[in-house]
Amino acid sequence: MTKEKLVVIGGDAAGMSAASQAKRRRPELDIVVFERSPHTSFSA
Amino acid sequence: MHEVQEIDTTGRRVRVHDLQSGKLDWEPYDQLLIATGALPICPDLPGSDAVNICGVNTLESGLDIRRRLDKRGMKRGVVVGGGYIGLEMAEALVRDGLEVSLIDRGAQVMGTLDEEMGALVSQALQEIGVTLYLEEALMEFQTKGGKVTGIVTDKRTLPADILILGLGVHPNTALAAAAGIPLGEKGSIRVNERMETGIAGIWAAGDCAESFHLVSRRPFYIALGTVANRHGRVAGINLGGGYATFPGVVGTAVTKICQVEVARTGLQEKEIKALGLEHVSAVIKSRTKAGYFPGAGEITVKLLAEKGSGRLLGGQIVGMEGSAKRIDTLATALHAGFTVEEMINLDLGYAPPFSPVWDPVVIAAREVAKKL
Repeated sequence: MTKEKLVVIGGDAAGMSAASQAKRRRPELDIVVFERSPHTSFSA
Repeated sequence: MHEVQEIDTTGRRVRVHDLQSGKLDWEPYDQLLIATGALPICPDLPGSDAVNICGVNTLESGLDIRRRLDKRGMKRGVVVGGGYIGLEMAEALVRDGLEVSLIDRGAQVMGTLDEEMGALVSQALQEIGVTLYLEEALMEFQTKGGKVTGIVTDKRTLPADILILGLGVHPNTALAAAAGIPLGEKGSIRVNERMETGIAGIWAAGDCAESFHLVSRRPFYIALGTVANRHGRVAGINLGGGYATFPGVVGTAVTKICQVEVARTGLQEKEIKALGLEHVSAVIKSRTKAGYFPGAGEITVKLLAEKGSGRLLGGQIVGMEGSAKRIDTLATALHAGFTVEEMINLDLGYAPPFSPVWDPVVIAAREVAKKL
C-alpha cells in the first residue's frame, strides 16, 4: 500500500503550521506543500 | 515556487504550475489543505494597472517597498487607507524622512475602533507629522509611463513618489470557488470546528478560511496571522489523526503608531447596533503605572457591555507603552463570557511599576457597571 498523501496549497502561517503538526503526529504521512512565492512561514 | 491552478475534487488531484521551469503537472492527494491566504484589495480605478502601486501583503511586497525607499529622491509618500497596515506604513515612511499624507474615505482612521477612540489615533498620527485627509475618496491613480505619480481624490490631487494601499484584504478563494467548495462570510471558505470544508477530505485554514465570532455567535471573517497559526494548528492535528477544534475568535487586534499603542477586542458600537443589542459603555483615562511612578503614561480604555445583563461585549484601548497588551485581559473575559461586575473582582497583578492599584481595564469595568 502506498503512503497516505497530504497536499497543502500555501506555505505561510496556516499551511506550514498544519504541515508541521501533521508530520509530528504521523511521521509516515507524505506531505507536499506548494508555495508560489520564494518565501515560506514569514508570518508564522 | 509552485502555483496550484486547479483542484480536481473528484479525481483528488491538483494541477501545479512550476513557476521556474514553466512545467504543468497533476499531483494526487488523499487529503488537501487550502491555505491560500488573502489578497490586498486594489480598487478598479483609472491607472490601477500601474506597476508601482504597493499593496503590503507578502514578504516580497515588503522587500519591494524597502528597495523603492532606498532609492534617492523619495520625498512624498501617500498612504490610502487608515487601517493598521496604513498606519504602520505611514509610521515607516515618516521614519524614513518622507512627507506623508494619509487618506481614508471614513470619518476616522482605525475603523475597527469607535469614533472617540479612533480620534485619539488620528491625533497620534498628526503628532508624528502625518497629514490626514479624512472623508476623502480615491478617484484615480495618476500615472506616467505606466508608473504611478500621484492620486486624485474627490477633493484634491496628491503627488506621490511612493504610494501604499492599505484598503484591507479579501480571502484568496478563487481556486476553492472554482472547485465548488462552499464559501461563507465575505467569500472565505466555510469550515466546521475541525477546519474541514464542505467537501470531505478538503480542509482550509488561515486568511482564506472563515471563523466564528464568539461574542456575536455568527460566522466572521478575520485575516490575522494569530488566527492563521491557530487555524493551522487545529487543521494539522486533525490531519495527523488527532482531534482538535477551533471554537472561534473575539476579534482581538493590536498595533502601534510610534509611541501610541492601539488595541481592540470584541464588538464595537456599530457591530452591536447591527445585532440589535442594547448596550452601555464608558471611556476612562488612567495611567499605565502608578501615577507617581516615573514613566507612567496616559491610557484610555473604552468598554462596552450588554444593557441589563452586564455581559462584556467589547473593549478598546489607546495609550502609551504598556497599554496594548492589557487588551488580553478583556479578550480573556470575552472568551469566559464575563460580566463587567465579574471583571471588577479579577485578581490582576499590581505593583507601582506596572499599574495603578486599580488596573485601567477594571476602572472602566466599574464605570460601565454603574450604568447597567
